Amino acid sequence: MNRAVPYLRRTVQALSFCFLLYLIIQTAFPLELKIPVDLYLRLDPFIGIISLFTQKEIILRMLPALGVLLLVFIFGNFFCGWFCPMGTTIDFFDRILFREKKRPKPLDDRSLRRFRYGVFIFALITGLMAFQVMYLLDPISLITRTMVISFYPPAIYIYNHLLPQIQALLPRNPVILSSIPLPLFKVNLLIFLFFIIILALGVIRKRFWCRYLCPLGTLFSISSRFRIFRRSVTDECTHCQKCVRECPVGAIPEETPEQYRQEDCVSCFKCLECPPKAVSFGFASPQLKTVDGVTLSRRYVLGSFAFGLASSLVIKTNPLQSESGLKNNRLIRPPGSLPEEKFVSVCTGCGECLKVCPNNALQSTFLEAGLAGLYTPRLVPRIGYCEEFCNFCGRVCPTEAIRPVTIEEKRLLQIGVAHIDKTRCIAWDTDKICLVCNEQCSYQAIVGDDKKRPIIKEEKCTGCGICENKCPVDGESAIIVHSSGVQKKLKPEPNNNHQG
Amino acid sequence: MKGAAAAAALPLLSNQLPFYESLAHAATESDLVIAKGGSPTQLLQAAMTPLGGMSRFVKKGQRVVIKANIAWARTPEQACTNNPELTMALIKMCYEAGAKRVAIWDHTCDNYQFTFSRSGLKEAGQKAGADVFSGHGRNVYKQVEIPKAKKLKTAEILRDVLESDVFINFPIPKQHFATELTLGMKNLIGIVWDMEQLHKIDLHQCIADINTLRKPDLVVMDAFRILTTNGPKGPGKTEDPGEVIVSTDIVAVDAYGAAFFKNPKTGKPFKPEEIKFVKHAYDLGLGEIDLSKVRMKKVSAT
Repeated sequence: MNRAVPYLRRTVQALSFCFLLYLIIQTAFPLELKIPVDLYLRLDPFIGIISLFTQKEIILRMLPALGVLLLVFIFGNFFCGWFCPMGTTIDFFDRILFREKKRPKPLDDRSLRRFRYGVFIFALITGLMAFQVMYLLDPISLITRTMVISFYPPAIYIYNHLLPQIQALLPRNPVILSSIPLPLFKVNLLIFLFFIIILALGVIRKRFWCRYLCPLGTLFSISSRFRIFRRSVTDECTHCQKCVRECPVGAIPEETPEQYRQEDCVSCFKCLECPPKAVSFGFASPQLKTVDGVTLSRRYVLGSFAFGLASSLVIKTNPLQSESGLKNNRLIRPPGSLPEEKFVSVCTGCGECLKVCPNNALQSTFLEAGLAGLYTPRLVPRIGYCEEFCNFCGRVCPTEAIRPVTIEEKRLLQIGVAHIDKTRCIAWDTDKICLVCNEQCSYQAIVGDDKKRPIIKEEKCTGCGICENKCPVDGESAIIVHSSGVQKKLKPEPNNNHQG
Repeated sequence: MKGAAAAAALPLLSNQLPFYESLAHAATESDLVIAKGGSPTQLLQAAMTPLGGMSRFVKKGQRVVIKANIAWARTPEQACTNNPELTMALIKMCYEAGAKRVAIWDHTCDNYQFTFSRSGLKEAGQKAGADVFSGHGRNVYKQVEIPKAKKLKTAEILRDVLESDVFINFPIPKQHFATELTLGMKNLIGIVWDMEQLHKIDLHQCIADINTLRKPDLVVMDAFRILTTNGPKGPGKTEDPGEVIVSTDIVAVDAYGAAFFKNPKTGKPFKPEEIKFVKHAYDLGLGEIDLSKVRMKKVSAT
């Protein structure tokens, strides 16, 4: 039975990863899946804690994460070794790409192991300072973002190229189906590189990221200190060092393999492959004591604390930050978003909304929203517009940075206002009849004057950007949506937004 | 102009139908049939009979393409998209006539997933056994020359429309702020890839130019309920003429359809000549604009 455990674990890992992919694929029209498509993010207690700090209220959607934390508290850290999709990816690439070098002397990684506690303290402090950049290191948010932004467009690209061949296999349709419009994201290369660097760290040590950096792993480490599902070793141990070598997180010290650091153990059960069968797992009373643990000196904790505090303050006072938001009138947030300052602190940058947006209208920011707003969603109308009867982004946001709004509410939410550049507009500049914007406007906010030139009724404009998107003028549109600052509720008019 | 004049003069010279090449068509009673009073299915049945029935247009084993209007994410009651019941009836009629496959196409303006579901036309089309396709991918278009065009010399057109055996234009008349009205010919804008670019060239002429590319084998105008304000996207005021108009002459259909709407300047129903693209199409010899020269027949469906 013990021999089957590694295979079982690998199968569970693969299934977990495939399930994440399935959920990401299902994060699309018509969004009718019974389970929430952002399930993994909702189960992530690190996101739960930090969003609790940044939003300063309990987010109901994140409550399942508490359950996970509780389970880890009792059974120890089972998440990293069995379910984490990022861990699965790292395990897979470590296995196929890297061989761990034999070292003459045991590597003393205590300072590295201490490092992630520093990162974690830093994260908590910046979280308390309402600054969300630490989400960049959260593994669930990271893998979702990477999949959506870096790997989803190439997948569609390949699909479109194989479409004729796929169609040829289907006898029913003599026509070729439309290819899927290629989703585009400006920051894809950056996110891809970050992902590759994390995988490449495996060359130094297996699961380098998980052992020394991952903040979610650190949180699980802290919680699984008192686990009651524990490893025990009988006297039959021959000090053969097999378990020491096999342990993917190096939780078993060489000198005393009968002990282990329960907080680092990811419950992979590789040590069960013990030649004298001395190792077993079972329920036992919790132990506070651990071997060869990291010592967090007061100086180290205070140092991380101060560094986090200073960094948040420096970033908050960076001109990029103060120029973002209200002062950048091209920074249009999705309908239902929290006010700008709160939005950047609550958004995890997971990319769920970018994936679900049917028109590829939501784009990931780079520095447009300041350093604190890295990888947050913004509406870029020239790439895509906000679909009238769609409220998907609010429905998939795990931290409710984009509040879930009903279709009726959304259709009365003003996220921006369109403005016409009369020197470039076809109808204003020439005597041709154009009025594409009037024709496309869902809210009848663009009317034509007696010479069939467009005029904007600001009180009806929601800033959806369909006019900017469809404007036939080459290059930049002749009608441009500017952010309205704070999202405003429009007055319903009988002829305007009546439902039917 | 010469061709158009000849076409106009022909009915005077012979008793045979002028617009159809085949003699088989001489058996039909009229060129343009208007059915009124009844359910959409009844209307279509009633309208098609005097025209010679669907079997005149669809032969056994043929592939049929219907260009419907599914451009906007609006519900059927808002009359911005085709009537689902009529759509189903039309598809079924094609299959009854022996069609091998019926495909419905549109290059939607709103996101196709939303237009297809909100208009109820994907469901209706599939229920009736048709494939409902959206032209959101450039790969389904083909760059073609338009030899008879005056301004739009080349365009990317839906391949399936060009290559199918039978092509049915299935428009819904609507008020349209830029071109006054959306009628049968304007419906064909939805077979073009670069729709918005046409506005830059000369919309009215482009509409006529595209219609020179392939003459529809049949035009079925869905005037069961029409949109009279805030067109083409609506929502706006609607009227219920409860009519279905069928013909093979798209200009005649549009000439008839124009009269559903009042010209805001004159306060009277639109004359066909007041819609520039109808006039342009007539000038290109695409059909008859003068309804007095068309053999019209009004039938009651009940």
